[in-house]
Amino acid sequence: MISRFQIAYKNLLRKKARTLLTLVGIMLSSWVLVSLLGFNRGYEQALNRDIDNMGYQLMVMAKGCPYEAATMMLQGGAGLRYIEPSMVAEIAGREEVEKITPILMQAFFDPDKGDGGGIAGYYGVEAASYPAMKPFLRFHQGGWFQGEEAGEAVMGYEAAELEQRVVGDMIMVPEKNVPLKVVGILERTGTQDDGTIFVPLKTLQKIAAIDKITTIGIKTRKDADSQKLETALYQLPDVQVVSFSQVKQTIMKLIATARVMVLSIAIIAILIAMVGVVNTVLMSVLERMQEIGILKTMGAMPGDIFFLVWCETLILCASGGVAGIGLALVFSRLSDLLVRRILPYAPGGELVDIDLKLALLTLAVVVVVGLLSGIYPAWKAGRVRPLESIRSEG
Amino acid sequence: MSAENVAALEARGLSRLYRRGSEEIRALDGVSLQIKRGEFVSFMGPSGSGKTTLVNLLGCLDNPSSGELHLAGRAIFGSGKNLDERALTRIRRELFGYVFQNFHLVPTLTVRENVALPLAFYRKPGTEGEVERLLGLLGMAHRMNHLPGQISGGEMQRVCIARALVNRPEILLADEPTGNLDSKRSVEIGEVLQELNREAGLTIVMVTHNPSLGRLGGRMIEIRDGKAYES
Amino acid sequence: MTSAANGKPAPFSGRFVIGTVLLLLLHLEALPAPAAVNCELNYPSRDVARLFPGSTGFKTSYFSFGQRGGAPLLRKVEARLGGAPALYAPLDVPYTLYEIYQGDKKIGYIHGVNQKGQFGVIESFVSLDLKGTIKAFYIQRIAGQWARKFTSPQFGRQFLELGLKDFQRYDTVSGKGTGKVAAIGNPAPEAATDFYGLLRAVKKNLVLMDEFVYSAEGGRQ
Repeated sequence: MISRFQIAYKNLLRKKARTLLTLVGIMLSSWVLVSLLGFNRGYEQALNRDIDNMGYQLMVMAKGCPYEAATMMLQGGAGLRYIEPSMVAEIAGREEVEKITPILMQAFFDPDKGDGGGIAGYYGVEAASYPAMKPFLRFHQGGWFQGEEAGEAVMGYEAAELEQRVVGDMIMVPEKNVPLKVVGILERTGTQDDGTIFVPLKTLQKIAAIDKITTIGIKTRKDADSQKLETALYQLPDVQVVSFSQVKQTIMKLIATARVMVLSIAIIAILIAMVGVVNTVLMSVLERMQEIGILKTMGAMPGDIFFLVWCETLILCASGGVAGIGLALVFSRLSDLLVRRILPYAPGGELVDIDLKLALLTLAVVVVVGLLSGIYPAWKAGRVRPLESIRSEG
Repeated sequence: MSAENVAALEARGLSRLYRRGSEEIRALDGVSLQIKRGEFVSFMGPSGSGKTTLVNLLGCLDNPSSGELHLAGRAIFGSGKNLDERALTRIRRELFGYVFQNFHLVPTLTVRENVALPLAFYRKPGTEGEVERLLGLLGMAHRMNHLPGQISGGEMQRVCIARALVNRPEILLADEPTGNLDSKRSVEIGEVLQELNREAGLTIVMVTHNPSLGRLGGRMIEIRDGKAYES
Repeated sequence: MTSAANGKPAPFSGRFVIGTVLLLLLHLEALPAPAAVNCELNYPSRDVARLFPGSTGFKTSYFSFGQRGGAPLLRKVEARLGGAPALYAPLDVPYTLYEIYQGDKKIGYIHGVNQKGQFGVIESFVSLDLKGTIKAFYIQRIAGQWARKFTSPQFGRQFLELGLKDFQRYDTVSGKGTGKVAAIGNPAPEAATDFYGLLRAVKKNLVLMDEFVYSAEGGRQ
């Protein structure tokens, strides 16, 4: 006994090359679609992870202040603005705040760095509160400074490598010529921390002869209304508030256009593949007109013929879809690399994240679109009148 | 009238007209005939005589322009209404098996699967085991698992006959069954049909322009210019 | 930037700019800088012209232990330097070599090495003629409050016309020896670590050049 499904399947085997080519088309477009959907999700997750790794979610700093050591160095250390340390206590009292840490960013001119001199940037941080903000920071050697006023320094991995420092060596703060002992070297993080030199806050304040700070890092409670906190912080005089969730939203907005464009491409790829499917199935129907007529003499109803042809479409789309998704999973590393090449900046970790749900969704899309496109050839086949098709024998 | 005497097929005044522009062509002009159960009838005639048109009507592959058709006592055509494809299909699968000049076996299905093909769409009760039985009857049991590409023309037509009979039709309709075969194979197929008619009592309606084949059944009807002449 | 009714800049627009820049900076993936271990001129065109007057052009090439001899060669060079400290260089990190030309004719080389100093890394370069004699001495980077003393022309002059032969008469590990190298004066006695470090750097430089360049060309210094 043979079922209608088996008939459809064996029909596809008649022209193996044609079937294979159509399958390849669907496979490739499925691969693209599922990878892009995986990227959509993976990017957002990776971005979240990166932001979580920052430790703090909000930063308060003086208006107009370049808050990153890099910008500071780019600007030549000029234009540094300060905020009062008392603000820390003010903000710490708020209910939404879980952790808070003051930071002083200071730059010194180093005449012996580069040609004509350069800027050396230092981060003054509190041993009591800063490490707690970033508990996942790992040390390659040593650890954080012991005292709040110690003449010690913790170096980022790259900073230490550049200066050939190990724990126990000395470094000299240029311009002020203050020696500091290296007590810790961090593991590579892939962020700006790699090039940073951390010094106890009070030590740095003493060296720079100021009692102010440049930044306050804030970690909000999990269920806190961060919007409310941000608005409140904005009321503080002469400060600007940077929220990483806002930043993330900004980035996602920037990416959104790219994502839409890229998803459109994926959809177009699917549609093109479907055109291939329709063409294949339609061609095979037209080649089999007489045979379809004879099937009708055997007792096949128009619905049976419709089902047969529709089945062929289903088999093509399902097989091609599964193959494409399988390939995407196998080559997810490769897709990851490709995506990193294209994007101007990308967070760390896996960018293309495909799970079962996503795979099934993609398969569903491919199959549904395929079935819709397959309606026409199936309908056309169903309408064949045995007389006309057989008569064409002559 | 006893059941055995009820005509398998009765046609009264069957006509088929075609319109080509303003021209009216009478492919079939008022044909009346009767075919009893167990008869083996051959329709002969030159091309364009209307024999194929007649057989198409008798076989419910087409609607007549006018006239009546009764099959096994049942009125099929004659109410004045044209039957749609679904209705025709339902009648066809109950009563007829078809064999054509071009074999149209599915190349990717085995002989056995080809013969079983009609059962995928419609299965009359009592047809279990028919596939094997028919293949044995037609001498194709040893080729059951071969593909059509691996058997000869004569063997392919045997498979077609088996396929046509798998749902135990009342009437076997054969349109130029030996058209694509050489003389030796043609004789073979003729003998197969003859045996089916004699041993199994199968009613056979055949179209052919091969006189020796036509004589096999014992009853020949000539079709000329849309009219039937019994010889 | 749009302003809200109360005169303060609307939060979003300010954040938009800041936030973007912030995250851009945050995500500058710190690429492993080969210059951390490899020693390169910061402004090659300018530096070459200054360190090798009379040159018209230069070519940058690279050599590494991995290419030329692997671990055995590394150990040989370390032995020539007196065993310690080990060369701060894995086998496949490339050394940058500047080949200096006057027209089509090669007239010399510039090569730099990194050395661990008291307060940071010391990057020092020498210009060499085809015989391996030092024609110029340049410290690109040095940390510490006495850095000035080492980068001064008076200090650098002491290295001119020296070659590997001179350094072979001086043990840079113990700081004892004879000849011109022993005669080099330390301008900053408080920075003895860096002074001896510099001597070791120059010796290292010349030994590397000898192994990789001058021997390869068939002529020993």
